[in-house]
Amino acid sequence: MSKLRLSPPLIALLLAVALFFLGGLLAPGFVNLAQAINIIRLSAFLGIISAGQTLVIISGGEGIDLSIGAIVTLSAILVFRIVDGQNSMVLPALAVALLAGTAFGALNGLGVTALGVPPLVMTLGMAGVVQGSILVLTQGQLVGKTAPIMPKLISHPLILGVPGVVVIWGLVGLGMWLLLERTVYGKRLFAVGVNRTTSRLSGVRVPRTVLLTYALSGLLSALGGFMLLGFTQSVFLNLGERYLFPSVAAVVVGGTVLAGGKGSYWGTMSGALVLTLIGSLLTAVQLPEAARQIILGATLLVLLSAYGRQRSLRQ
Amino acid sequence: MNVSLSARNIVKHFGGVTALSDGNLDVSSGTVVALLGANGSGKSTLAKIITGVLEPDGGGIELDGRPVRFTSPQAAMQQGIAAVYQELSLIPDMTVTENIWLGHEPLRWGVRVNRRVLLQRTEALLDLFRGAFQPTLEPDAPVASLPPDEKQIVEILKAISREPRLMILDEATASLDSRQVQRLFELMTTWKQQGMALVFVSHRMDEIFRVADQAVVLRNGATAGALPMADASERKLVSLMVGVEARSPATVVGAETVQRRAETSARIRLATRDLAADRLHEVNFTVHDGELVGLGGLRGQGQEELLLALFGAIPFHGKIILDDEPVHFAHPRDAMERGVAYVPGERAAQGLLLIRSILENLQLPSWARYGAILDMREARSDAQRISDDLSLVMASLDAPVESLSGGNAQKVVLGKWLLREPTLLLLNDPTKGVDVGTKAEFYQKLTELRNDGAAILFYSSDDDELLGLCDRVLVMQDGHIRAELQGDDLTRANLVAASMGAPQENQAQPNHAQSDVQEAA
Amino acid sequence: MSKPNFKHLNLRHPYLLALGLLIVAVLVNAYLQPNLFEGRVLNSNLRTFLPLMILAVGQTIVIIAGGIDLSVGAMVSLTSAVLVTNMQPDSPPGHILLVILLALGVGMAAGALNGLAVAFLRLQPIVTTYATSFIFAGLALWVLPRPGGVMPIEFARAYRRTMPLGLPLGFYVAALIILIWVFLRRTRFGNYLFAVGGQPASAYATGVPVNLIRFSTYVIMGLMAAFSALALTLMTSSGDPRMGDAMTLDSIVAVVLGGTRLSGGQGGVAGSIMGVIILGLIRNIISFANVPTWWQTLVDALIIIVALAAPGAVRLLRRRLTT
Repeated sequence: MSKLRLSPPLIALLLAVALFFLGGLLAPGFVNLAQAINIIRLSAFLGIISAGQTLVIISGGEGIDLSIGAIVTLSAILVFRIVDGQNSMVLPALAVALLAGTAFGALNGLGVTALGVPPLVMTLGMAGVVQGSILVLTQGQLVGKTAPIMPKLISHPLILGVPGVVVIWGLVGLGMWLLLERTVYGKRLFAVGVNRTTSRLSGVRVPRTVLLTYALSGLLSALGGFMLLGFTQSVFLNLGERYLFPSVAAVVVGGTVLAGGKGSYWGTMSGALVLTLIGSLLTAVQLPEAARQIILGATLLVLLSAYGRQRSLRQ
Repeated sequence: MNVSLSARNIVKHFGGVTALSDGNLDVSSGTVVALLGANGSGKSTLAKIITGVLEPDGGGIELDGRPVRFTSPQAAMQQGIAAVYQELSLIPDMTVTENIWLGHEPLRWGVRVNRRVLLQRTEALLDLFRGAFQPTLEPDAPVASLPPDEKQIVEILKAISREPRLMILDEATASLDSRQVQRLFELMTTWKQQGMALVFVSHRMDEIFRVADQAVVLRNGATAGALPMADASERKLVSLMVGVEARSPATVVGAETVQRRAETSARIRLATRDLAADRLHEVNFTVHDGELVGLGGLRGQGQEELLLALFGAIPFHGKIILDDEPVHFAHPRDAMERGVAYVPGERAAQGLLLIRSILENLQLPSWARYGAILDMREARSDAQRISDDLSLVMASLDAPVESLSGGNAQKVVLGKWLLREPTLLLLNDPTKGVDVGTKAEFYQKLTELRNDGAAILFYSSDDDELLGLCDRVLVMQDGHIRAELQGDDLTRANLVAASMGAPQENQAQPNHAQSDVQEAA
Repeated sequence: MSKPNFKHLNLRHPYLLALGLLIVAVLVNAYLQPNLFEGRVLNSNLRTFLPLMILAVGQTIVIIAGGIDLSVGAMVSLTSAVLVTNMQPDSPPGHILLVILLALGVGMAAGALNGLAVAFLRLQPIVTTYATSFIFAGLALWVLPRPGGVMPIEFARAYRRTMPLGLPLGFYVAALIILIWVFLRRTRFGNYLFAVGGQPASAYATGVPVNLIRFSTYVIMGLMAAFSALALTLMTSSGDPRMGDAMTLDSIVAVVLGGTRLSGGQGGVAGSIMGVIILGLIRNIISFANVPTWWQTLVDALIIIVALAAPGAVRLLRRRLTT
C-alpha cells in the first residue's frame, strides 16, 4: 500500500475527522450522526462551488478564478426568476443558468488566452461585469420563487436520511475524478499546468485546453449557484461572494498546488470539509466573530506552512 | 592579488541523484585550469559549489590555505570569487548597465546610484570586447533584446566588473563566435598575468589547448585526473573523460552503423523548398525513407529553428513537402498527425512534465487513442511495452519523471514518440547530458528505426555522433545549409571546416539538395 | 522591424497606456463636469483618491518584487481601527502624533508577518496574504467591534481644508511619493526590487539578498496601508472595522492599469497613481453621465475590462497585420 503516503489530501481528510471529534470535546453534542450529515451537507455547497476553481488552479499559468462568487449569484438569481415557483421550470432554468455560467467562463478563458490578461485581474474584472449584469437584469428587484421540488431534492433528506445535495456532491466528485484521471482533457489539463512548452511540443493545443477550463469553471459555479438556491430558497445580491475565497482556500487546503499541474478534486472535497468544520466549530464554541476570523486565518497559515512551501533558491 | 583555492572531496546530491561524489580542484594565481568532463560529469555543479550557489553535502574548500564555507553567493563574492554562468544569471528586463553592476553599483552619498560613473565604467568594460559585437549592444539596451552571444559577453563583463581574484568561466564560449572567443582568450591571458586565477569549464578540446595551463578531468562526478597541459594530449584527456577506452558511437553500436548512401530507389519522405523562418534562410534539402541525416555546425546556427519549423512549432515561409504532398503545419499537432515526431534537447524545459508520472509523460501525445473514458489498462500496457523496449530503469510507471536519471529521462522523451511509430523523426541534440551507456542504447535504437524505414533528421552538437551515426550530414551556418557531407567526404576535418565556413578538402556538390527537391515536386 | 522597436518602447515606457487612458478620462470628465479643475472640486477628488493611491503604491512595490498582497484592505481596516479607538475629539498634537506612530507600527508589524511567511517560510503569496487578511480583519473587529470612534476634529478639518499654494494636499502627497520613488529607483534597493521580481534565481546567484528584499517590500506595504488608513480616516472622521475591504482588489487593478506587470520585474509607481486616478475618474464620469443607476456597475466593470485587455488586443492586431 505505497499509495497511502501522507499526501496533502489525506492530511486534510484526517484533519477534518480530527476537527469533528475536537468539536465533541469543546461543544457537547457536536459529535453525532445528524451533525455529521449536516456538516457534510454544508460542505457540499462549498465543495461543488470549488470544483471549477480546482480545474482552473490545476491549469497553472497563475490560474485562479475570482468570478466564481458572482457567477454563483447570477445562476441563483436566474433560476429564482425563471422557476418562479413552478416545478416544471426547474430544468429549463437550470439549463439557462448553466449556459450563462459557461458563457462568462469562456469569456474569462478568451481574455486569458487570446488577450494575455493575467487570470487574477481578468476574472476579477469579469466578476464586476457579472455583478453589473445582475444589477441590470434585476434592477434591484429580486423577484421569483423557488420550486417546491428544489429543497426536496437538494437540502432535505433524500435517501436514507442523506440530503440530495450530498448525493449530488458525490456524483460531482465521481465526475470530477473521471474528468481529471480518465479523460484526454484531464491528462492534458495536468500537462498544461506543469509545462506549457512541453505540452505544445507534444501536440496539446494549450489555449484551447485553458479556454475550456475556464468555461467549465463557469459551468460548475453555475451548478453551485443552483444548489445553493435550493438550500437558501431566497437570493440576495452577494449570495455567492462569501464562497469566493473559501473556494480558493478549499483547493489549497486539499493539496492542489497553486503553481498548477498537481492536485485532485477529492483533496478539494476534504478541504471544503475542513473549512466548513472550522467554521461550525468556531460557531459552536460561541467565539466572537473577531476570534473566529483570526483562528481561521491562522489555521490556513499553519496548513500552508505544512505543505504549501515553495522551493528554496539555495539547494 | 595572490590567491589559491583548493576544493577537496566535494560531494553533492540532488534528490536521489549524485551529481558529485568526489570533486577535487586546485587553482592558484596566474594559472588557467581547464575543468573537463562529459556532459553530466559534474562540472557545473563543482563550479557552483565553489561560487557558493550550491551547498556541498560533503568535502571542503580551502581558500589561501584556510578552510572556508560559503553560505551564499555573496559570501564567495566578498572573497573575490566571481563566475560566468552557463545558464545566464542576467535579469532580462534590466539594462546591460544595470545587470553588470547589480549589487555593487557605484553610489553617490552612499545611497544613490551614480549614473555618470556607471555609464563610464560600463563603456570601459564594453571596450574590452569592442569590435566583437553589434552596435546594438549599448549600456542602456535591455538584456532581453540581445542575441545570445552578446548576452554571454554581458555575463562575462558582469563577472569581471567585480575585479575578482578567482574567476570561473562555465561554458562561457558556447555561444560566442570565433572572433569573440579569440578576444576572450586574449583577455584571459592579460588577467592571468595580473595574478588572477581562472577556472575554464569547456568541452571544446581546441580551446582548452589554446588557453589552459592545467587540466582537471571529471568523470561521473569524481575527479579522474589532474595534469599540466604540457603533458596532456587530446587522446589522454578523452580517455580520462570516458574511462578505460574512448568509444565512438560507431564502435559502441557495432558494424551496423557504418554509413550507407541512401538507396536511390528509396522514396523521398521529406523535402523543403526555400524554407525560411526567424534565423533560417532558404533551406533546401531532402530526407529519404530509411535514411539518418545529421545536422551539424556550431550551436545556434538555425538547426533548432529548422526542426521546429518542420514540426509546425514556429511560423515559417517556403514549402515543406512530406510524402510528395505540400504541407503547412500550423501546430505541432498537425505535424504529429502526419507521423512527424520531435525530440527536444532541453528535456526538462521542453520534453518532460517533471512532476508527473512516467506513464503520463509517455502517453501525453497519444491519450486520444484510448477512448472517451480512457482505457488505462491498455494505455499502461502500451507504455510498459515501450519502456521495456527502451530498457527504462524505473521504480514503476507511476514514479514521477523527475526521479529518473538524465539518460532514462531522455528515453522517456524518445519513448513517447516511439509509441506513435513516427515516419519522420526530428531530433534536437538528444544526447546532451546523457551517460555513455544510455547513449549507446540510443544509437542502437536510432539505427533500428532507420533500418525499419523511418526517415530521421538528427541535430547533434557532438561531432562524433554525426560522424559515427549518420548517413549524410548537412552543415549549417547562419541559418543556411553550407555543406552536405557524405561518404568519403564525411570526415572530422570537413565537418569542422564547414562549420566555420571554411572551404573543405573535397567540396560536395552544393546543388545536390536542389535536384532532389525537383525530383520530389 | 517595427516589432522589436515597439517592444523596446513599451519596456521603457510602461506608463504609456495609462497616460493615454488618463488623458481620455480627464477630457471626458471635464466635458461632463466643467468645474473639474476648480480648487474645491480638485481637492475633494484628490482627497477621495488619496487612500487608494497610497495603497496602490505599496502594492506596486510588492508586485514589482514578484509578490502580491491580498491583505492590504484588512491592514487598512486594522490600522484605522487602531487610530480611531485611541484618538479623542480634542487630542493634543503630541498625543495625535503618538497614535499615528502606533498605527504605523501596527501596519509595519502586519506587513512583517506577511513578509515572514512569504519570504522566509516561502509560502505562496496569494493564499498567504489571503490567510493573513482574516487575521488582520479579525484583529480589526476585536479592536473596534462596530463602526464608530472619532478623529480629532481640528486635525481632520485642517487636513481637509489645507491647500498650500492653492493646490490640494493630495497633490503634494502624490508628488512626494513620485519623488521618493524616483529617488528609490536609482538606489541599490531599487535595482534589487526589479532583479528579485524579474529573475529571482539570477538575482540570487548575483548576490542579491532575495529573501530580505521580498520581506522588506511587505513591510513597506504595511506602512503604506497605515498611511492609507490615516488618509481615509481623516476623510471620514470615524472608523469602520471593514472600511478597507473593498480596497484590496482596486489596488491591484490600479497597479495593472498603470502598466506594472503582475508577474513582477517591471513597472513603476507613477503608473499606479495614474491607474487610481483613472479608476476614480471612471466612477465620476459614470455618475455625471447620468448612467441609469442599475447600469453603473456594469459600465464601470466593462470600461475596466476593456482597459485591461487593450494591450493584449493591440498585440493580437499587430500579429494579425504582420503575418
